[in-house]
Amino acid sequence: MRVLRETTIGLRRSGWSNWLVISILAIALTIFGGVLQTTMAIKEVVSSWGSQLEISAYLKDGVEPQKVAKVISQFPDVQIVEIVPKEVAWAEMQSNYKVAALSNPLPNTLHVKLSNVQAVEKTADKLKQLSTIEHIRFPLKVARNLNRFRQFLEIAGFVVTGALSAATLTVIGNTIHLVIESRQREIEILSLTGVSPWYIKGPLILQGASYGLAAALIAGSFLFGLHSYMDPYIHDQLLSFLPMNNTGTEISLLPTFVVVLTLGVAVGAGGSAWTSGRYIKI
Amino acid sequence: MIRLQNVYKEYNGKPALIDASLHIGLGEFAFLVGPSGAGKSTLMRLLYREELPTRGTVTIGGINITKLSKAQVPLLRRRLGIVFQDFKLLPRQTIFDNVAYVLRALGVDEIDVRRRVNSALAIVSLADKDDEFPENLSGGEQQRVGIARAIVNGPPVLLADEPTGNLDPQTSLEIVQLLERISQRGTTVLISTHDQPIVNAMRKRVISLKQGQIISDVDSGIYEMEAMK
Repeated sequence: MRVLRETTIGLRRSGWSNWLVISILAIALTIFGGVLQTTMAIKEVVSSWGSQLEISAYLKDGVEPQKVAKVISQFPDVQIVEIVPKEVAWAEMQSNYKVAALSNPLPNTLHVKLSNVQAVEKTADKLKQLSTIEHIRFPLKVARNLNRFRQFLEIAGFVVTGALSAATLTVIGNTIHLVIESRQREIEILSLTGVSPWYIKGPLILQGASYGLAAALIAGSFLFGLHSYMDPYIHDQLLSFLPMNNTGTEISLLPTFVVVLTLGVAVGAGGSAWTSGRYIKI
Repeated sequence: MIRLQNVYKEYNGKPALIDASLHIGLGEFAFLVGPSGAGKSTLMRLLYREELPTRGTVTIGGINITKLSKAQVPLLRRRLGIVFQDFKLLPRQTIFDNVAYVLRALGVDEIDVRRRVNSALAIVSLADKDDEFPENLSGGEQQRVGIARAIVNGPPVLLADEPTGNLDPQTSLEIVQLLERISQRGTTVLISTHDQPIVNAMRKRVISLKQGQIISDVDSGIYEMEAMK
């Protein structure tokens, strides 16, 4: 209770600088949230494209497709193994094209769908090693490009998060340092008269956490507005031009908001704790 | 109550206190004298655990305070009253609130706060100025507020670091006499000072420091400036 009262006093005394910190933090968190949301959305789309990639495995003559399909379905990351009997493939070919009347030259085929794009090459290698398989075919270049793009997004997200966290920590650290400077005498008196460190540092940590909370709520509102405005355009117009199936790739804003809120409060409290530890010697 | 045994303290390899040993009993009143740089402030800081000795032990009330963990230091300081040269009052708080500040921070209930603050202000003869702000008080009165704040928690030991440094001679004498009265109530009082007239007027125990060493410790002593040269 006393700590809360001291926190309120600290916030009141900081005056306009509260808003400065909250504004800078809110901008940083909005950018971070925007990047996170975009990264997640793109990753989801890329991942959805990746799961649309499939490996076609052509079986040797005389091999029972059900048995091979059963073996392959045990592989990690394999989602579905679809059997295309050679009779079906031949009939389809005959109905689509004019082909000479000869005996069926096609092999039994398995279409292997995977849960993620990273697994395409690895699974293809494993399939090649099966003696029951004559030949496999898969879009190697597409798989590799999608993988590279996904990795780039992960690194970019990591770098942006790191840079914004560092900037935010600096802003909070400076503000709390100013608060400590302005309360130097009180802090010294409290420290020398045996008041517990929590009572001295607690209000500063809570002040930092409340900056983070307020900034996260503002950033969350911005992101919500932006999401509501942009989402229909992205889905109805932008993604509809792409040659892949993009249904089911909508990303909820809730996880991003939870991350922004947690990061804001953690960075706020953490920045204050670090600054208090640095400038208040008890 | 206060005991130092072979205490040595150095800063960056330079000795500030050299093998200091002394004992000050319960309710005793003593001056710690010496010129600037003699080691008075270092010794005081060791007593309230602002510093740790390079070697040796410091005991207060039978507890070796050099062995205290960081978390235990606040508990030690609650048993000490500290008076500062620059008073260290909060300008935006009334005299009453300045004295009550620490009690409230320690979670003492408001009825007890009122009782203890009024009692402390009565001891320093400032009961009628409880709703004034520090800027409206003279230097001597501000220092009396500092003393009231130091004794409000009933500490067995009172440490005063140059308490008369910012005061005129007459006010200085009144402040030291006030500290002596507090000592007579059973509190151990140690005053660090280089105010020769005050020390000589009081004729109390005088512990003299020179270049980090205790060069004399005399009951009913005086501050011998010549010996310091």
